[in-house]
Amino acid sequence: MMEYKDYYKIMGLAREASQDDIKRSYRKLARKYHPDVSKEADAEAKFKELGEAYEVLKDPEKRAAYDQLGANWKAGQDFRPPPNWAEGFEFSGGGFTSGDAGAFSDFFEQLFGKAGFHTSGKAQSGGPARGQDSHAKIHIDLEDSFLGATRGITLSAPEMDAQGHVQVKHRTLNIKIPKGIKEGQHIRLTGQGHSGEGGGKTGDLFLEIAFNKHPFYRVSEADIYLDLPVSPWEAALGTKIKVPTPEGSVDLKIPPNSKQGSKLRLKGRGLPGQAPGDLYVVLQITLPSAETEKAKAAYQKLQQELDFNPRKSLGV
Amino acid sequence: MNSHELFLVHTGEVIEEGGLTLGQLCHACDVHAEWVISLVEESIIEPQGETIQCWRFSGPSLGRVRAALRLQRDLGVNLAGIALALDLLEEIENLRLQMHVAERG
Repeated sequence: MMEYKDYYKIMGLAREASQDDIKRSYRKLARKYHPDVSKEADAEAKFKELGEAYEVLKDPEKRAAYDQLGANWKAGQDFRPPPNWAEGFEFSGGGFTSGDAGAFSDFFEQLFGKAGFHTSGKAQSGGPARGQDSHAKIHIDLEDSFLGATRGITLSAPEMDAQGHVQVKHRTLNIKIPKGIKEGQHIRLTGQGHSGEGGGKTGDLFLEIAFNKHPFYRVSEADIYLDLPVSPWEAALGTKIKVPTPEGSVDLKIPPNSKQGSKLRLKGRGLPGQAPGDLYVVLQITLPSAETEKAKAAYQKLQQELDFNPRKSLGV
Repeated sequence: MNSHELFLVHTGEVIEEGGLTLGQLCHACDVHAEWVISLVEESIIEPQGETIQCWRFSGPSLGRVRAALRLQRDLGVNLAGIALALDLLEEIENLRLQMHVAERG
């Protein structure tokens, strides 16, 4: 069973839309859902769906064939193409212009075949050709970079079998995460890419590193930032307090008269490496609430004792 | 996959600053050298080294080339537009980080 896909609905168009409307709508939605640009959670799935819809509707031949299925289908409905539905239509070439056509739906494949399954486009002249390099992004924890780690990752890639069916193949690799690796850096695994042709070498696999969001550390290059809540008296009087670092807590001296947002540097406590990063502690002065009588009295005492106008610089 | 492979740990090599030649970058991204050269001319990526033969590209520039490729292919953005988009995306990413912090504060 496969589901009917309403390509017009996906593109937000009426069935009478002109070719210009289709192009305009694609451009607009592609900008909205492009995984590089969009932060919407399901952007990637939406963008794939959109690409498939556009692939059909932008091509008058494919569009006419699709329209012939009729307008009474509902998206998600079980679908079986009517016999000989595409009789008399001629599709010129594979026509898969967009990149990852291997990921198009069963519905699309059933209607238009998989003739144009995207391959490297490199010469297939029979001589040895090195296999394509492949890419994947992996998310690791900050601690993995700190200590070094081994992580199992599962990679999926569409592959075409001997019968020409596209199947998504999964494989799991255990990867050594080198100590001190930074966000945006790449790890190259020689010979783990696509296989070559005619005895050519296998391509490489490039893994791009991204960090999972940490509950309290932020990472910028090799430096780590930590927002540290301090009480008004700790900031005003100075003190020594315990601060967490990815390698365990350390004692930090808060100088007297520290201001809100002051940055204190712990040299070399950032990501490890030849030039290790620093850890910056950013002070966040936190006020105790004045809910109890005791707290109120303490604030009133401050008010009486100090001649303090926080709006002096505003001239009032 | 046999049990041997299950326990096999792959140790890759980290692409350091200046780790890739023009040829390696082209192969890794499946693009022509001319196109990469035009990205350099537009300052979308900045290699180390004076002449093309000496150019060396960093790991993050690999990410930028691939993003540029997707923007051009999927959205029809030209090189100047790609440069602008990537710079703005980077800025948004930094602002999001700061916002994330401010929200928690």
